[in-house]
Amino acid sequence: MAVTAGMTARAQPATNAAPKLPRPPTQVDSASGFFDGTGHKAIYSGNVRVDDPDMKLTCEWLVVDLPQSGGRVSHIVAETNVVINGTDSKGQPMRGTGDKAVYDFQVKDSVTNETITLTGNAKVEYAQGWMTGEPIIWNRADNSLSATNQHMVFRQNLNGARADTNAPAATTNKLTTPE
Amino acid sequence: MKMKWSSAVRVLSVFAVLFVSGADGQAQPSAVSRASDFTSVQYYPAPFQRQVKSRLSGAEAQPLAGGLLVIKQLKLETFNMDGSPQSIIEAPECVYDTLHDAASSAGHLQLQSGDGRIRVEGDGFLWRQDNSFLTISNHVHSVIETGPETNARL
Repeated sequence: MAVTAGMTARAQPATNAAPKLPRPPTQVDSASGFFDGTGHKAIYSGNVRVDDPDMKLTCEWLVVDLPQSGGRVSHIVAETNVVINGTDSKGQPMRGTGDKAVYDFQVKDSVTNETITLTGNAKVEYAQGWMTGEPIIWNRADNSLSATNQHMVFRQNLNGARADTNAPAATTNKLTTPE
Repeated sequence: MKMKWSSAVRVLSVFAVLFVSGADGQAQPSAVSRASDFTSVQYYPAPFQRQVKSRLSGAEAQPLAGGLLVIKQLKLETFNMDGSPQSIIEAPECVYDTLHDAASSAGHLQLQSGDGRIRVEGDGFLWRQDNSFLTISNHVHSVIETGPETNARL
């Protein structure tokens, strides 16, 4: 069963659009850090804060696989008290929490896959409600959410349209927020 | 073993400079001995023994007991096996342990990846040259360029 709920794709590229500005860098702050030049890993521990143009993340332990020959970071693991604050395509706030979050980026056959997988008491809150699941996968390419063993709750709006709508257990559903 | 030897040769050359400047024909261990603009290079093991793994340099080095060197204006460059730059570490001052190939300091440190897309700074560090492992103890701040590749270089 697919539950759709309006996290639509990012804005379509406009014609005659102004030249793209460079993407601001991602900044990571932490109490301490370990950099493995042989294993090409950066490990941050203690009050880790990630400030990315698309989201803010906090956790206690963050491992970044560093690209060996330049290019962008393709694999990040965040652990312990993971909190992710971002926005959906409409600019509505989204908040994901869990024990662990894994970020993966890859381009295969000209298709970009960019996901964040939340596990361990995983929960995502958004303007229309919240959902839990194991895992919850946030697809950053189209800002959609999917989850296994999903449980969803929609906040009741002023029209009283929905409240406490629970998805069946043990299914993998894709979420889009209601219009 | 060979890698250690090649590294040791260069460290010994630093000591030779220190000895010459300090001995001056007299056995005066307490004399101030310094070396300036020195470099210590470590190579990859065979069969890449001609390939530089890391190059540690400083504007000034002063020996301490136990094989330690106080280095001013530390610059530590590491390289991939293909010779491309891997990272550059710079610190105003550190203590280099010639017996264990390790550099440490309570002071500030800056690190930049070879392509310039990752920059890190912090306070207090330990660098182990044999396994290229860097620990930064406090106030770690990283900037990671995630956009299209730039021409950022060394």
